[in-house]
Amino acid sequence: MSAPSLTSYIVKRPWLKRWMTPIAEWYMDAAGYRRLGLRFDDIIPEENDVVQAAIKRLSAKESYDRVFRIRRAFQCSISHTLLPPEEQTKPSEDVEYLSPIIREIEKERKEREDLDTLSVRR
Amino acid sequence: MMLSRSTLSRSAPRALQVTNRRSMASASNPGLQYEVSDAAGVKIANREVAGPTSTLALVSKAGSRYQPFPGFSEALDRFAFQSTVKRSALRITREVELLGGAFSSSHSRENVVLTTKFLSNDLPYFTELLAEVASQSKFAAWELDELVANLLKLRQQAITADPEYLGIDAAHGLAFHRGLGDNITPNTSVPFEKYLSVEALSEFAKDAYSKSNIALVGSGPNSSELSRWAGQFFQGLPTTGTSGQYKVQDKGASKYHGGEQRISHKSENAVVIGFPGSSAFGTSGYKPEVAVLASLLGGESTIKWTPGFSLLSQATQSFAQLRVSTKSHTYSDAGLFTIALSGNAGQVATASKNVVDAIKKVAAGEVASEEIKKAAALAKFRSLESVQTLETGLEASGSALINGGKPYQIDEIAQNIDNVTEQQVKDLAKSFLSGKASVVAVGDLFQLPYAEDLGLTV
Repeated sequence: MSAPSLTSYIVKRPWLKRWMTPIAEWYMDAAGYRRLGLRFDDIIPEENDVVQAAIKRLSAKESYDRVFRIRRAFQCSISHTLLPPEEQTKPSEDVEYLSPIIREIEKERKEREDLDTLSVRR
Repeated sequence: MMLSRSTLSRSAPRALQVTNRRSMASASNPGLQYEVSDAAGVKIANREVAGPTSTLALVSKAGSRYQPFPGFSEALDRFAFQSTVKRSALRITREVELLGGAFSSSHSRENVVLTTKFLSNDLPYFTELLAEVASQSKFAAWELDELVANLLKLRQQAITADPEYLGIDAAHGLAFHRGLGDNITPNTSVPFEKYLSVEALSEFAKDAYSKSNIALVGSGPNSSELSRWAGQFFQGLPTTGTSGQYKVQDKGASKYHGGEQRISHKSENAVVIGFPGSSAFGTSGYKPEVAVLASLLGGESTIKWTPGFSLLSQATQSFAQLRVSTKSHTYSDAGLFTIALSGNAGQVATASKNVVDAIKKVAAGEVASEEIKKAAALAKFRSLESVQTLETGLEASGSALINGGKPYQIDEIAQNIDNVTEQQVKDLAKSFLSGKASVVAVGDLFQLPYAEDLGLTV
């Protein structure tokens, strides 16, 4: 599911990271999903096998919270309102909870793909 | 026809000469004896068998008897050869496929057994694999939810459809209460899910696979090679296990209780009658006459196209929809002698009375001594075969090693059974009738009898 990303290129270069971080933070905030109480991992497109499998692997609490956030955001969207500032997602709360699982599943699938197409030389 | 007659006439005198020949295994046949050694604190029993393939098993004293909570042994068994810290389950499978090997895991009341079979050249790889599974299994939460839980459910469904299995399991429960009486696999109504979590399992595994709790049993590999590789790979295993609530729990010595249990079942019927039996060979409760009585009562023929000589198969010959089998279940400190009847409800009900009649006949000494001789020969064959056969032999030797008993000595087993007298068999049958039985009826309880109807005390 992951889109092409420059993250690892930037993170490897401290000077570039220092330079980009404020811009990234401004951009994430401007994207507006935090005002609806969502986290970045909530808006990853879920219409594919990998993300579906990842959602199934969430713990019961995380899964419940995810559904709650999405429903609340949906309600806000319908009524054309934003959440009151104290309920909006703070940058410190906007952590990855689904992406690590997605990466793990992608790794598993890649490994299966590699093993399926492997040629044995003895 | 001509051919078969001539072969018969040629081989018949040979069958009569058997008695002259040397008895089966002895010092002249060292391949069947296990050599016991120790590498990096892990006990190893190995027999060198000349041949291109080898079998190596890890026996852990973590069967249902020693599990801290229900379902733990079953889950540990299913988690074997799943993802480890180093490689995924898929990679393990594919690597083993490429090497042309096989692996499997199983568990009994006393042990969890991880078995690998391979071409002898691949010994280092498979020794490493067993060590890796024992010490570095990942116990991922999703593997429990997506794989292990489903397999467990299927296993539960399979045992629910097998009334004889349910009956024997319940008979163990009646006979030994906690410990040996715990279900091997929790049945569908056991609330095991509330105890089972990957964290708890990984704690249990640390203790179950600690050096003092396991034995490596090999059949085929070179002994010095095996101890070299085992010493190298098994070094990282903890010497003693954890001390939390999830450690391997020894619930004390087994004591026989007895009793009666009746379980309704929609489709199948079984009656299981249990009596105190013999513990495994090499322990203090070993009674060779139990094996002889088990084959004397019998029920299952070992020879095609004949009901066989055993008392129960003779007595139940007219029942077409009935299966009878007599088994002596042996454990490290106790044993259970079970007679299981399954099939049509009416026939099971009638035949269970025949079973008690047969035991009465043996107790009264109304059985010809030839029959007892035949039974002793069959008992000898069965116990020697179970030692020689890989699956049963590996577990038995490993279990004996962990529990500090002596490993199986083929000569002694044969000797013990040869020494059984008619009087011993008669006394054993008498003690069955006077002592407490464990009686389980599974199925159509409207038709199946109570222990009292059979004339047994519970």
